[in-house]
Parts: sequence; structure tokens; C-alpha cells
Amino acid sequence: MEILGLWLAGFFTLSLFSFLYKDNPFYGLAEHVFAGLSAGYEVGLVYHSVILQQLVDPISQHWVNAAAGDHPGFHIMKIGFLLFAGALGVLMFARFFPKASWISRYPLAFVMGNTAGIYLMSELHGRLIPQIAGTFVNLLNPLNLIIFFGVLTTLIYFYFSKEHTGVLGGSARVGIWFIMIAFGAHFGYTVMGRISLLIGQVQFILIDWLKLVKPG
Amino acid sequence: MGFWQRVSQLDRRWIYLAVALAVIFPLLVPMKMKLGITPEARQLYEAIETLPDSSVVMLTFDYYPSTVAETRPMSIAALHQMFRKNLKVITMTTIPLGGPSMADRTMKLMGDLYHKTYGVDYVNLGYKANYTAVLLGMGSSIESIYPSDQYGTPLANLPLMQTVKNYDQISFIFIVADNGIVDNWISIVNAQFSTPMGAGVTAVMAPKFYSYVQAKQMTGLLGGMKGAAEYEMLVNKPAMALIGMDSQSLAHLLIIGFVIAGNVAYFATRKKKESKG
Amino acid sequence: MKTKLPIAIAFLSGLAMVAVFILNPEKVGDMEGELLQWTTVIGGFTLLLGVVSIVRVNWRPVVRRETGWFNNAALLLSVAVMAIPSVLPVSWSPLFGTDGGSMYDWFFINLSAPMMATMFAMLAFYVASAAFRAFRARSAEATLLLLTATVVMLWRVPVGEGLFVAIHSKLPNLINTYVMGGVNVAVQRGIIIGAALGAAATSLRIMLGIERTYMGKT
Repeated sequence: MEILGLWLAGFFTLSLFSFLYKDNPFYGLAEHVFAGLSAGYEVGLVYHSVILQQLVDPISQHWVNAAAGDHPGFHIMKIGFLLFAGALGVLMFARFFPKASWISRYPLAFVMGNTAGIYLMSELHGRLIPQIAGTFVNLLNPLNLIIFFGVLTTLIYFYFSKEHTGVLGGSARVGIWFIMIAFGAHFGYTVMGRISLLIGQVQFILIDWLKLVKPG
Repeated sequence: MGFWQRVSQLDRRWIYLAVALAVIFPLLVPMKMKLGITPEARQLYEAIETLPDSSVVMLTFDYYPSTVAETRPMSIAALHQMFRKNLKVITMTTIPLGGPSMADRTMKLMGDLYHKTYGVDYVNLGYKANYTAVLLGMGSSIESIYPSDQYGTPLANLPLMQTVKNYDQISFIFIVADNGIVDNWISIVNAQFSTPMGAGVTAVMAPKFYSYVQAKQMTGLLGGMKGAAEYEMLVNKPAMALIGMDSQSLAHLLIIGFVIAGNVAYFATRKKKESKG
Repeated sequence: MKTKLPIAIAFLSGLAMVAVFILNPEKVGDMEGELLQWTTVIGGFTLLLGVVSIVRVNWRPVVRRETGWFNNAALLLSVAVMAIPSVLPVSWSPLFGTDGGSMYDWFFINLSAPMMATMFAMLAFYVASAAFRAFRARSAEATLLLLTATVVMLWRVPVGEGLFVAIHSKLPNLINTYVMGGVNVAVQRGIIIGAALGAAATSLRIMLGIERTYMGKT
């Protein structure tokens, strides 16, 4: 089975790479199989990690505890909360019925509000303030001075509510130079990242599948 | 048609072929070039190395299978170090597509290699949806988010999880990620619970996180396959990332050549067009 | 009911999270845990929406035998071979479930993961093609960008690092310190500050009901 798996992996890998030469039926098939497998993966994941592990198993456990007389009120309440959460999740499927799709707004609003509340505090407390604090450190150090001026001029460049003239315009021009250097560095890293992913697949083809090269 | 005009109109498939050969050749004829180690990689290594034995660390598998070439070597190198130091490892993932499977495979591989016992030396929590809720929820109670581990075993039945209730019992979080989840780890977990953390990320993401290292919100950073290769050297377990650096070298030289050739062709043909009319 | 109640729910659930942040966690721990658990459960069901959608979209071409229906059938078959064995009890067969050794795990490791990796590996070819065809030093700024990219691309690989060390032993360290740890940090920080402010503002808009696009047509 392992050999079959390797050869299937190799076949589909080459099918996808064949698109580089020309679009062809092998690529189309591989593309659709990939999409299908990805969707199928989610079903297994949700069934086990959510339905079984977060709903069915805890509800069963609470029911057993309640039936055993161990704080039954508490366990019944927990069962109620879990069933409510499950019901909210099921309500999401109302989106597929045009006349009833408004029902899905309730669980969606709950998740959006919850996430928004978390982000509101975490972005201000966890990112904005520490990053600003990190800018105002020992400005006698040339590196920290570069960072200070870089942050200032970058923020000035991205401030479009006022025309970039005079001192503001000059600062924005300095900001552009900083930005070009940073984006150039980012581009260099991006090229590296893309090439690395290709190296990984070539290693799979030559080492794992065709065994033309010994690892190390 | 002049030479540079022909160059500027080169069929892209020749470019693809050149890239493929640049990557394949060093795998067939290794060059084994020397590699330096960046201070950020060393910082992350030291952060783990200085932890007392039997400390509890969290290792995250926050990457898709699409970036395993860069990120899996980081996870493996990190686990070499953690298991060698007899650290207790808790793993989890925020990636719904493939994260649980990759965490499972890698942990079983490394656990068997170091003869570690599941439930005692390491636990795989698996995946739960909505990562902001997961990251925040684990701050008060891991069990409220993960009633059981990836395999359905209640946390109460796992010896390691009887002593680890939330981030307070975790000494360090080693994030391996290929997306912006690192921002959330920093802004939610590090900021609110003061848990020290470091990250290994893909090369595309790496430049952004230097800011967090400078602001001391993060201890150490690995960037891309080179970062993985550096960590393999630090833990003295050379593997696929180090092997891949030769191909990386040749491919980068090729890309630089393409940029230069493309620009020379562009300016040469532009000059000709301008002189003609 | 259809609009006002969801807005109220969004506001209250957001306010709860803000309250959790500000108040003593020992007092609100249970409530926080419960609300976050609901969020993860709903998020899990949301993942299934995509599955239902993809099946609906691909079912029609197969039933109507439209052009290329074979590929759509292959997609549906792929969904089935992954999904059905994964939800059947492991006690029936070790091929069922999602653990190592199951069909689910086998298909993921041998088909899904390599294909995902290959999709992204193809980007290397596109970036090389773009480097040749599109990256032009048309202005001083563009030239600076390309020069920096070249320096960083060389610095990140052994051959380039060796070249820089030959020029000056501290050159790679200087690039790391002043380019990545200096200029890059400055610009990325500026972007992070802007993004953090934007995210906080958008979160507030969602909580206050000003931003309602997530509800669809209202």
C-alpha cells in the first residue's frame, strides 16, 4: 500500500507540474481530486473534533454524572449549554435555504461579535502599544535611531489625509526610500520561500519516490 | 530580430526548465557549502536550551502541507532538542486542512525515536475551530477548549495534562507557522498571559516578525528553509533543510541572473526603439 | 428581529470579551470559557458549509452531463472516499476513523498533502518568470528595491554569504542588523501599527453595528 501511495503521489505531482508546459486533462483531474479530498478532510475533522469531542462525549459524561446524583443541576445546565452551542452551529446551515437564510445571522453575529471583542483589546494592548514602546528605546543607539525615523517616515508616507507637501512631503519621500529597501528585502525572502517549496517537491520526487538520490 | 529582442521574448517554458535544473542539479551533485547562523536563530535555540529539564513547552503545528518543505524541518529539529532535554511537549494546531494529520505523524515519529510515552512525555491536543477563541480560551483553561486530545482521550486521563491547566504551567511556546497566526499568539497570548514564545515561519512571513523580536515580544525567529537549516545545525541533526540549501544557492543565482538579463534586454530594446523613431 | 437582534448579539458578545479582558479572570473564567467554547463549536460547523457548497456546485454538472462532468464526478468521488470512512466507527474496521492507518490518513498523506505542496511549488516557476519579465529598474526607487532584493537573496544562501564574508567578515551580520533589523523592522512596524489601528477600528464598527456586511443583504 505504501508503494501504491508513493506512485499515486508521484503521478498526481507530475500531473500538476504538467500545467507548466500546457493545460491538459491530467492537470484538470488532479485539480478536482485535490479539491474533493480537501473538502472530504474537513468532514472527518469536524465530525471528530467538534461533534464527537466537543458535543457528544461531554454531553454523555455530564449525563452520566447527573444520573449518578453528582451535582445534577450543574451537569444538566452544562448539557443545556452544549446543546445550545450545537444548535447555533446547525443554524448556520440555514444559509442554504434562501427564505430562511436570515436565521444564520444569529450564530454568525455571535462569532463575529466575540472575535471583534477579542481583536479590539488584543490589537491595542498586544500589538499597537508594545510596538510603539519598542520604537522609543535608547535613541542614542544608531540602530534604534534608524528604526525611529523609519517608523515615523513610513507612517507619514501612508498618511493620505493631507497632501504630501513641505515638511510632510519631504518626510514621505524619506519614507519611500525606507519602504523600497524593506520591500526589496521582503521580495528577496519571498523568492527564497517559493524556491524552497519547489526544492521540497523535487526532494520528494528524487529521494522519496524514484529513489535516485540518497538523503544526506 | 536582434539578440536582446529575442532574449526579451524568450518562451517562459525555457525559464521554467532552467529553474528546474538549478534545483535538481545540486541534489545530484551536492556542494555542501558552509552556512552561517543568524543571531535570531541562536536566540531561539538558547531559549529552549536554557529551560530546566522536564519543563513543559508547547509546540504548534500552524502550517499547511503546502509549506512542509520549510516548516516541517523546523518542527523536527525543535523536537530533537526538546526530547533530548526531556522537556514535556504539548502540541496543537490551528490549521483545519492537514494540521492534525501532520502533527500526529511528526509527533509519533519523533516520540518513537526518543522512546517517549504518549500522555506522559507528550500530548497532541489536535485542532479546534476559531483560533482567536482557542488561543484566548487556553489562557484560563485548556480543558474548556480541548475536553479531550486529538484521539478522543479526556484530558483528565492524561498524566501530563493533570499538571498543565493553562499557560501558567507552560514555560515556552514554539510556534511553527506559515500564516499570520503568529500575530495572534503575540497579541493574545504573549501580551495577556506573558508566556515567552519564539517562532519558525516561512520565508514569506519572516521579515514581518523581526519587529516582534526587536520589541522583545518574541524570543528568536527562524525564517524559511535557511532558518530550518540553521536550527538543524544548532541541534546537530543535519537533514532535509540543510540538503536543500545547495539548490537554494543555485536557484537564487539564477533568479538574480534573470533579473539582470531581463533589465539589460529591456533597456537595450528600449534604446533601439528610441533611436529608430 | 432579522437585523436588530443580530446587531445586539454581536454587541453583547463583543462586550463580554472586552469585559473578560478588563475584569478579574477568576471572577469571569467560567463565563469566558463557555462563550469561547460556543465560538469554537460554531466555527467547526462553519467549516462544513464549504463542503456542502462544493458538493452542490459539482453535483449539477454530473447530473446534467455537462462538458467536463467527468472531473466533477472525480471531485465528488474524492469527497466521498475521504468523508464516509472517516465518520464510520473504528470498531468496525481499522480503515475507518481518522487515526494513522485509516483510509482518511492514507489519502491525506499520499494524495492531498503532496498535491497541496505541488500547487505551491509551482509558484517558484512563476516568480522566476516574473523576475525575468516584469521586474524592471524603471526608477530610482525600483532600482533600490531590486538592489536590496539582490543583496538579501545572496545573503540568505551559502554561496552569497561566502561572497560577502570574502568582502568583509562582518558584512553578513551588518546586513542582518541594519537591513533586516533596522530598516525592515521600521517599515514593518509602521505597517503593523497601521494594521492594528485598522483592526481595532473595524472590530469596534462590528460591535457597534456600523459594519454589517457579514449579515449579507439587510
